[in-house]
Amino acid sequence: MLKHLPRRLGVPLAAALLAGCAGNGQGLDSNGQPIGPGSAPDKPLTAEFQSIQDNIFTPKCVRCHSGGGAPEGLQLDAAHSYALLVGVPSAEVPALQRVKASDPDSSYLVQKLEGSSGILGERMPRGGPYLPQATIDVIRQWITNGAQQGSPPAAASSAFRLAATSPPHQAVMAAPPAQLLVAFNREVDLSLVNDTTVYLERLTAQGAVRVPGQAAFRLAPGNSAAVLLQPAAPLTSGTYRLTVRGTGPAPLADLNAQALDTDYVSEFTVEAPAP
Amino acid sequence: MSIRHARLALLGAAGALLCSTLAHAEPYLAVANGYKCSQCHVNPTGGGERTPFGNVFAQTVLPARHLDTGTDVWTGQINRFISLGGDLRFDATAQSVPGTKSSNSFDFQQARVYLEASVIPDRLLVYVDEQVAPGGALNREAWGMFWSADHTWYIKGGQMYLPFGFRLQDQGAFVNISGIYMQTPDNGVEVGWIKGPWDAQLALSNGTAGGPTTTNGKQASAQLQFVQSRWRAGVAANFNDSSDSGNRDAFGIFGGLKTGPIAWLAEADIVNDKSLPVGGGQKQLAALLEGNYSPARGHNLKVTFEYLDPDRDVAHDQQTRWSVLYEYTPIQFVQIRGGARFNDGIPQAPEQHLKVYFVELHGFF
Repeated sequence: MLKHLPRRLGVPLAAALLAGCAGNGQGLDSNGQPIGPGSAPDKPLTAEFQSIQDNIFTPKCVRCHSGGGAPEGLQLDAAHSYALLVGVPSAEVPALQRVKASDPDSSYLVQKLEGSSGILGERMPRGGPYLPQATIDVIRQWITNGAQQGSPPAAASSAFRLAATSPPHQAVMAAPPAQLLVAFNREVDLSLVNDTTVYLERLTAQGAVRVPGQAAFRLAPGNSAAVLLQPAAPLTSGTYRLTVRGTGPAPLADLNAQALDTDYVSEFTVEAPAP
Repeated sequence: MSIRHARLALLGAAGALLCSTLAHAEPYLAVANGYKCSQCHVNPTGGGERTPFGNVFAQTVLPARHLDTGTDVWTGQINRFISLGGDLRFDATAQSVPGTKSSNSFDFQQARVYLEASVIPDRLLVYVDEQVAPGGALNREAWGMFWSADHTWYIKGGQMYLPFGFRLQDQGAFVNISGIYMQTPDNGVEVGWIKGPWDAQLALSNGTAGGPTTTNGKQASAQLQFVQSRWRAGVAANFNDSSDSGNRDAFGIFGGLKTGPIAWLAEADIVNDKSLPVGGGQKQLAALLEGNYSPARGHNLKVTFEYLDPDRDVAHDQQTRWSVLYEYTPIQFVQIRGGARFNDGIPQAPEQHLKVYFVELHGFF
């Protein structure tokens, strides 16, 4: 039986070898992206968000953490990652924030990367290679420094826009959310966040009705690009519409007074409790 | 009673218990034995708790030596209505990446408990798959399933793993670019059709992999297999439009072939992910070819070649991975696995040249 092994096992595997070999990386950067006239050169990892995005999240995490099926709803592509990380409760352990500014030990992201005993599910990146401790220490340092977003490339020339909401658009919640999250692509001017620029309505057969009571607004902890809304009272069952105004006489704007590029509307439903 | 007679008796008992339930284990075992997934697993699409047949198979056919337990045989069945199962994996791993210090560690990968309540025997069952360690309890699957009287059709609803290609034990396999593997259950319904050599599933789910549900869109998964005793072939498709940032579609073909003592698995998947903001999306391709050589009962040599093109619009960025594993099952319910995985990729990305060596203690019942 053994004498047939080389022929039986060897031919198909040799064919596989011929069919596919690793790329030689010609013309690519270290993330496997083409080097072109407008591409940024490779830069070493530093304790800044954009560097962590470019060196860790984009090349190592986005393969799984993208799109609607991103595990635990955590999208880590450049357009979503900061807004969904800093000051945002983790889905697996809601008592912990994914990134708690200035507190890496209490940041669930760090715990998942280090494989701490308190995590649920697998250590990340799934199946390895796990990040070297020196790399995790850079993330820790960024968090210790306040987990600032910094200035993404060409941020000044790009539009100020909404990056994500939580609950996400069209979400159906079994229980009312304790707070709502509105995340932008850069730091928002909190002084412009009020019940004219950000408001919640309950959709009824008679039309949209403002949710009664005053909602409290505050920046997500350590994340000046995300606003948390705390309803004055728990939301009852029904469909809600969250509006973020980028138009009108006093639109929402970033710290450079650049107005939100348009109005945004996000709807979600709170289900009636089971009898 | 001799061991041989005991084995025959156990298999006979399993056959009697089997009725029309089918089962599943590691896919290569299904290929090597000409089984469908449901031959050895409660879940018709494989993985998780074993059927009585699967449990007897694990005690008699899989191990090098069967420790005689007399007439007391573990079938998972506590009584006519309740069944239990479990799975435990503990690893010692060493990994190295060029330019960085090598690391090694002991890792408790998982302890899982399966519970099945056959509230109407052979027709209606409730199933829970709970990961109890490491960390806190984490529900992986929780569903109810109703079989037609002739066990040709079933409908399943709840949180479940979706059907898409081979359900591999290696959760780091490149073909998991589909986004569907045994760490990403989703909430939805699945309809299955199992008749003769045919095996088909159609599932509709939230498409959020456990995240908040959305009515923005849904995820549809479909799979069709044709299973013969020596070979099988299948196709799978997945469409996920639950994200308002773009759709993610996946298509796969997979098959198995038994040539003498070797069981072959092959799968190729393509993914078109339009949810990524760069370049209007990303097209990926992953392929797997695996040979499993069993020189003797209780022994298996597994050699796997994998290929990944992470962006089909970009040249020279392909990655490969070779795995060589030896699996030894000395006695029933205990397996020792050891091997190495060698990644290869573009020279300027050291992490694509990862080498992993591991030994794993695997217990299951």
